Amino acid sequence: MEYFLILISAIFVNNIVLAQYLGQCPYLGCSKEKGVSLGMGGAVIFVMVIATPLTWLIQEYVLLPLDLGYLQTIMFILVIASLVQLVEMFLKKSVPPLYNALGIFLPLITTNCAVLGVAILVQRKEFDLGLSIFYSFASGLGFLLALVLLAAIRERLEVTHLPKSMQGVPAALVMAGIMSLSFMAFKGMIS
Amino acid sequence: MVLTSVLSLLALGFFCAVVLSAASRVFYVEEDPRVEAICDALPGANCGGCGYAGCEAYAIAVITDPDVSAGLCCAGGAEVTVAVSELSGKAAGGDDPEISFRRCVKDEGKVEKKFGYQGVLSCTAAGLLEDGPDACKYSCLGYGDCVKACPFDAMYIENDLVVIDPEKCVACGACINVCPNQVLEMIPRRARVQVFCSTKDKMKAVMDVCEAGCINCMKCVKKCPAKVISHVDGQIRIDQAACLAYGPDCEEICVDVCPRDILRLMCPVGITAKAQEAAAAKKAAEAAQAAEAENPQPTA
Amino acid sequence: MAMWKEFSKGLWAELPPFRLLLGLCPTLAVTTTAENGFGMGMAVVFVITLSSFIVSLIRKIIPKKVRIACYITVAASLVVSVELLMQAYAYPLYQQLGIFVPLIVVNCLILGRAEAFAGKNPVHLAVADGLGMGIGFTLSLTFLGAVRELFGTGYVFGVEILSGSFEPVEFMIAAPGAFVALGLILAGMNYLSIVKAKRRGEPAPENPSTGCHACRACAGHK
Repeated sequence: MEYFLILISAIFVNNIVLAQYLGQCPYLGCSKEKGVSLGMGGAVIFVMVIATPLTWLIQEYVLLPLDLGYLQTIMFILVIASLVQLVEMFLKKSVPPLYNALGIFLPLITTNCAVLGVAILVQRKEFDLGLSIFYSFASGLGFLLALVLLAAIRERLEVTHLPKSMQGVPAALVMAGIMSLSFMAFKGMIS
Repeated sequence: MVLTSVLSLLALGFFCAVVLSAASRVFYVEEDPRVEAICDALPGANCGGCGYAGCEAYAIAVITDPDVSAGLCCAGGAEVTVAVSELSGKAAGGDDPEISFRRCVKDEGKVEKKFGYQGVLSCTAAGLLEDGPDACKYSCLGYGDCVKACPFDAMYIENDLVVIDPEKCVACGACINVCPNQVLEMIPRRARVQVFCSTKDKMKAVMDVCEAGCINCMKCVKKCPAKVISHVDGQIRIDQAACLAYGPDCEEICVDVCPRDILRLMCPVGITAKAQEAAAAKKAAEAAQAAEAENPQPTA
Repeated sequence: MAMWKEFSKGLWAELPPFRLLLGLCPTLAVTTTAENGFGMGMAVVFVITLSSFIVSLIRKIIPKKVRIACYITVAASLVVSVELLMQAYAYPLYQQLGIFVPLIVVNCLILGRAEAFAGKNPVHLAVADGLGMGIGFTLSLTFLGAVRELFGTGYVFGVEILSGSFEPVEFMIAAPGAFVALGLILAGMNYLSIVKAKRRGEPAPENPSTGCHACRACAGHK
C-alpha cells in the first residue's frame, strides 16, 4: 500500500516537474516533438533509477560513518556525472539500439536537476533503499508523463495563430501552468 | 576532519577517474573519425532542427547516407554547411555546382484558385486540404515552407510562387523535401534543358487547369537521341548528368518537339530565361557604355 | 570598457532567465516571494562570480575532455560553501529555499557561462561576465517574485501594497502561477523588442525564444 501511495503521489500529486519545479530545462527544451520527449523521459528514468540507489549507498556507507554530511552535494554530483558517462559508454558498446534511442540525451542529463534533486530528496525524506529506488522510478514516470503531455500540446500549438510575442516558449510556459493547475486537482487525494 | 573530507573526496574522484578510464578502454567502439570531426564542426546544440535526433545522429547520417544533404543544420548556417560538406565530401557547390529549381509556372499558365484558403499559412497544411487551393494539385503552393527551410535566405515568395536567388543558393537541399508537392528539384547549374512543370496528369486534365503545363505526351521521351528523358512516376524526368555528358549534338531536339513549350532551354548558368535577358541587357548596356567611352560624340 | 560591456549584457540584452532561458528551475521554484527570489539570486551571484573566476584561472590547465567534470566540481565546492554559509547566517532563508540550494550546482546558468565564456576568456572579463549574469539573474528573480507576491498576497517584500478590496489570487503563489507569470513576462519582453524594432524601422526581430534558441539554453554543453 505504501508503495502504491508513493507511485500515485510521485506521478500526480507531487509531480517533480509540475509541482516541484525540477528539470525545467529539459522540460521546455525537449518538449517540441513527441518522439524526442519520449527519448528524454526514458533516459531520465533510466539514469534516475541507477543513480538514486548508488547515491543512497554512498550516503549510508561513506558520508554518514565519516560524518561528512556536508559533502553530500559535491559527492552526489560527481557520482552522477561519472555514472552518466559510464552508462553512455556501456550502452554504446553493449546495447547499441538503446544507445541510439537514448544516447544524445544522456550527456544532457548530467545537468538535469531532476536527477540530483531526487537523489537529495530521498535523503531528506529518509527513505530506505527499496523505497528510494521505487520513488526514483515513480518520479521518472511523472517526468515522462509531464514531458510527453506538453510535447503533444506543443505540437498542436505549432500550427495555431498566436500573437507573435507569445510564440514558442511563452506559450509553452502558459500551457505548463495550465497543466500544473489541472495536476493540482489531485492534491486532496492523498493526505 | 579536514583530512577525512579531503581524503574521501580525493578517493571518490580517483575511483571515478579509474573506473571511467577503464570503461573507456573496455567499451571502446570504433568510430569513423569523420563523425567526430563533423560533430566538432556542428554547433553541438542537439536542437533537432535537421530532423535527426541530435548532432551526432546527423553527422553519422551525412556520412553514411549519400542522399543526406550537408546543409541541414539550420542552427549553424552557412559556415557549418561549408565545413560539413568539406568533411563529408558532399557537394555544396563542388565541381558541378547545383541549384534548386522550381518546376512550376502556374503564373504563366494562369492556374486559378479552387477556393480561398484561410488556414495555417504553410504549404504542408494547405496541401492537405482538397489537394491545395490551386486548381492544379501539383503546383507550387506559395506559402513558403521552403523559404522557411532555406538556411541561406536564398528563396522568397513572389506572386504566390517561390523564387530562388541563384547567387545565394548553395544547393544544400534543405528545401527539396519540405515541399509537399515536390515541386523543387536539384539540377546542375549547367543544365541545358528542363521541364518547367511537375504535373503527373495528362492531356486534358492539365489543359483544363493550366495554359502552360506539361501534358505528358512523351514526344520528348521518344525523340531524345541520348535516351536521357524518361517518364518516371507519372512525370517527365531528365537525367541531367547523362544529358550533359551527351553534349550539344542533339541540338536540343526535345525543346523543339514540345507542343506546350514547357520543356525549355536553360541559360548557360542554369537560371531562368528572365535572368538571361537581364544579363544580355546588362552586357549590351556595358557595350554601349564602352562604345560611348571610345566615341565621345553624342549620338542622336 | 570591455569589462563594462561584458557586465552590462547580463543586465538586459542577455538577461539570463528571460532571454537565455537558463536556470529556469530556481526561477520558477523559489519566487513565491520577492525576498526568496533575492536570496536565491545572491547565492547564485556568489557562486557564478567565483566559479567564473576560478574556471578562467585554470582554463589553460584543464584538459579539454574532462572540462565539464572540472567545472562541475568547481561549482559544487562553491555551492557547498554557500550552503554552509547560509546555514550559519541565514538559516530561515536556507529552510525556505530547501532543496534548491544544493541544486544551484546543476543550474544551467553556471555551467553554461563556464563553458561558453569563462573557459575561453581572461580572468577580468570572466568575472565581469559572471557578476553581470548573476546580478541580472537576481534582478529577474526578484522581479518575478515581486509580481507573484503582489498578486498572490498583496504584499511585496513583506510590505502591504494592495489592500482593502483586493482579494489575493492564491493561484499566483502556487506552482501554476509560476509558469503562467514567467510565460507572460517572456511574452511581454518579446513584445517590447518587437515594438522597439518597429519604432526604429527595422524588421521585427526573430522571436528569441522560439526555434533552436529555446533548447540551446541547456544543450550548449555536453
